[in-house]
Amino acid sequence: MHRRTVPILAVALALLIPLGAEAQKPIKVGMPMPLSGPPALFGDPASKGAQMFVEEINAKGGVLGRKLELIVRDSKADANEAVRQARELILKDNVDFLVGTLTSAEGPAVSVVAKENKIVFIAPIPKTDQLTAPDKLHPYVFRVAANTTMEGRSAAEIVAKWPVTRVATISFDYAYGQDVTKSFVEHLKKLKPGVEIVDQQWPKLGEQDYNPFINAQMAKKPEAIFSSIWGGFFVTYSKQAKALGVFDAVKYNFIGVGEAATPETTKSMGKDYPVGIWGNSYDAFYWGETQAHKDYTARLSKYLKDEYPSSWAIQGYTGMQFLVEAIKKANSTDSDKVSKALLGLTVETPIGPQTIREKDHQANRGQLYGKTVMDPKYPFAIMKPVLYVDPTKFMD
Amino acid sequence: MPDPSFIFAQSVSGLTAAMFLFLIASGLSLIFGVLRVLNFAHGTFYMLGAYTAFQLAQWIGNGTGRFWLAALGAAAAVAILGGLVERFLFRHLYGAEELYQLLFTYALVLVLSDAAKMIWGTQQKSVSAPPELAGKALSLFGAIIPYYNLFIILLGPTIALTFWLTLQRTRVGRFIRAAALDRETLGALGVNVDALYTWVFVLASFLGGLGGALISPMRATTPGMDTEIIVEAFVVVVIGGLGSFWGTFFGALIYGQVLSFGILFFPRFSIFAVFALMAAVLMVRPWGLLGRPLK
Amino acid sequence: MTRRPPWEALLLAAALAVPALGSRFYTFLANDVLIWALFATSLNLLVGYTGLVSFGHAAYFGIGAYTTGILMKKLGVPFLLAFPAAGVLAGAAALLFGFFCVRLTRIYFAMLTLAFAQIVWAICFKWNEVTGGEQGMPEIPYPSLDWMGRLPLLGELRTSDHFYLVSVVLVAACLGLLRRVVGSPFGRMLTTIRENAERAEFIGVNVRRYELAAFVLAGAFAGLAGGLFGIFNRGVFPDFAYWTKSSEVLIMTLLGGMGVFYGPALGALVLILLNQQIVSYTEYWPFVLGTILIVLLFVFPGGLAGAASTAVRRLRRAT
Repeated sequence: MHRRTVPILAVALALLIPLGAEAQKPIKVGMPMPLSGPPALFGDPASKGAQMFVEEINAKGGVLGRKLELIVRDSKADANEAVRQARELILKDNVDFLVGTLTSAEGPAVSVVAKENKIVFIAPIPKTDQLTAPDKLHPYVFRVAANTTMEGRSAAEIVAKWPVTRVATISFDYAYGQDVTKSFVEHLKKLKPGVEIVDQQWPKLGEQDYNPFINAQMAKKPEAIFSSIWGGFFVTYSKQAKALGVFDAVKYNFIGVGEAATPETTKSMGKDYPVGIWGNSYDAFYWGETQAHKDYTARLSKYLKDEYPSSWAIQGYTGMQFLVEAIKKANSTDSDKVSKALLGLTVETPIGPQTIREKDHQANRGQLYGKTVMDPKYPFAIMKPVLYVDPTKFMD
Repeated sequence: MPDPSFIFAQSVSGLTAAMFLFLIASGLSLIFGVLRVLNFAHGTFYMLGAYTAFQLAQWIGNGTGRFWLAALGAAAAVAILGGLVERFLFRHLYGAEELYQLLFTYALVLVLSDAAKMIWGTQQKSVSAPPELAGKALSLFGAIIPYYNLFIILLGPTIALTFWLTLQRTRVGRFIRAAALDRETLGALGVNVDALYTWVFVLASFLGGLGGALISPMRATTPGMDTEIIVEAFVVVVIGGLGSFWGTFFGALIYGQVLSFGILFFPRFSIFAVFALMAAVLMVRPWGLLGRPLK
Repeated sequence: MTRRPPWEALLLAAALAVPALGSRFYTFLANDVLIWALFATSLNLLVGYTGLVSFGHAAYFGIGAYTTGILMKKLGVPFLLAFPAAGVLAGAAALLFGFFCVRLTRIYFAMLTLAFAQIVWAICFKWNEVTGGEQGMPEIPYPSLDWMGRLPLLGELRTSDHFYLVSVVLVAACLGLLRRVVGSPFGRMLTTIRENAERAEFIGVNVRRYELAAFVLAGAFAGLAGGLFGIFNRGVFPDFAYWTKSSEVLIMTLLGGMGVFYGPALGALVLILLNQQIVSYTEYWPFVLGTILIVLLFVFPGGLAGAASTAVRRLRRAT
């Protein structure tokens, strides 16, 4: 009896071990994200949101029996660095997927790396239309962020309702700033043909001294300003602009896309924030329109140990959500199968259902827009009323 | 024809940027004039001044007078650091090739800027303007000049004058000027040149740190601010004249105005303009506006 | 009579064998090291051999990268032309800038090289239509290397491996050329100029012309390195010309040793490998690098190669 059971057991064990080893090999996801400098205001919480989702999934047993492993690297908001990090993640760390990048310079650059290496790349933040433009689109790139067409037009709809005819714009001189301003101006002129764009300023991405640009802009006496300056840069810009009386001069007819009204920004600026301007945000812990959102916010608050959790975590979270749902649907981690599974995929994100459309791998990710006010409940400004603007009608 | 109040406003912002740069560049110029070394780490001292001011402000709060205390404290801390670096490290490289001295200062940049990241993290920090000057502005010729900017504009020439008087009228000032001309002879005359060099480094670092502390309410305190500012400081001292004190002052003024008006005339190429100016000065008159012609 | 072991041939063979290891990452690193080795050696022609400290060498690297990138991506020019074009254009720029730079000495020379480099950077950064501006030019096509797939032994390898082998051959050829230059009477004159430029003038040497020639050669080879790098990196970006890149290559040159021809190449190898190692333990790589540099400056100013040759000499004397 013993003589046969032992060898049988040994063979059975030997057969099990490879399976076990296979099941233990984690699914690696590479995340190049800016973790230092002014962009880190947005990049750091985005990476934490992704991390939180990974922990939640792993607690439930992982995906296809395997754990998820997220490898985050600092891309310094620089396209060259992002490309380098992405390649090292693929070649050295052998990641199976890429979810990451923040700026519209990083996104398209990493998209090329993803294409050449046939790695599925989900961009949770870069907005430039060029990422998913017909000549740049390929099977492995996807975006769960808003794009510049959606953002520019949403902003134009709001500004068109203001009693103004002289409008000025200030944006960074790179793909994001250029594209979103163009969408804004084109759509605004369609909605309100009498509008005149009296001035446009193009500081370089990363500018620290906006005074000369502000002076030049105010000399043209605009009645409203459209800005797409973002992240920590908006903090610097608005401090300088406030000191020069910009917001008073335009009577707070100012809209800051590029998420100028996120809780991170208003919190970090405290009383220096120009309360009364309009802005947008991907999320707001005070939105709470659905139970799902309330639950998510409570979990996020606990995870980040912050009473007023960040609005950027949701993008990292959603990026990972789409990836995991696609892996489940494809029942595989093969890039081609996952990429097919992503087309037309609908996911219940904390802010509502999102679908990646087949035409250009773009999700219908709208944003929250609103006018900032001081609310006695919080020590910083919030948007009130805050509206989720559905971008579907803006997507060509 | 652009509106005169706009021209005035633009030149005021150019003046503000210039006076900040002067604070920082003056330290760089001093070290070059006396120690004959271009100190790459000067930008990092500026950055440490900003971070230390932030830290002190966190500890002592933003009450009346607290900001100034934090700024001076930060400058003093950076000055001490500068002195230590000179005394224990840099002093041993005086005989070595120039290249090694330069690379040492660059190595300092790497070490000190990463140390700042270790201590304060990678997110940008924000400092509020002092309550005595915050939120108030002067309206002059149709331009709005915030009080803090005005303070900086007045501080620049004040420091310049104090500095100049020190160099011209005091014994220490005479020694510094002598050391810049002929170190050996000064040593032979019995002056402790080693100690003098250390004090020069301390003073220069104080100015750099002070510049960083004072700029923090207006700009972001963030990693990378050191490498940005050092190149600007180089441009200023080259235009004004390496080692010349008033040269640095006027170099800063010119730089500020070129940047300010550059965005009007060549909006895309204003950064190009300052480097083109630097190159032009070096090609035509390498010792700058007020420097001493090379031997 | 003792024969020197054929180090160069052995290294070349080793370099060619890297793809056989089967690791895409090792090939990636090796390709990186090769290109930086060429870049650093080109700088050493100026710094180590002629005694001219340039803070703006990255300008030529950047010009080379953009030249090859623009020619291959936007104009469809084949690599066979686009690669030498990088050297030619970078050399031409070096001729233009160098003409003004060599009229200055020491710190003023360094400052002018920096100013010119920043001008190049500013143009790359802002000339959106031609250089892509801040976005850079992602997706530089590989040269057409299908023919390599038909060669024996090489059929199994990927395009990136094929390109690596091309890099090995090109870098080896460039280094070989530079070696010749350095060993020639021209090269020896450069060393004489470094040691005492006044004495060289006395004996009738047109110092400026030699310095300019060195400047142009250094720039041209840096341009060739840049041309390769743009393709290797899969994209050309403005920070190729930024001054911090100039300081990186200067550090490599110093680390490896300016007094030895292969010093800078050694510096490139050590720095890149050290970077990989350290980064897996800590994010504070600059701190580590800075500390190493400071130690080096005080203890081994001759760099690693200098220390190695001193050690070898001591060993020889002892035995």
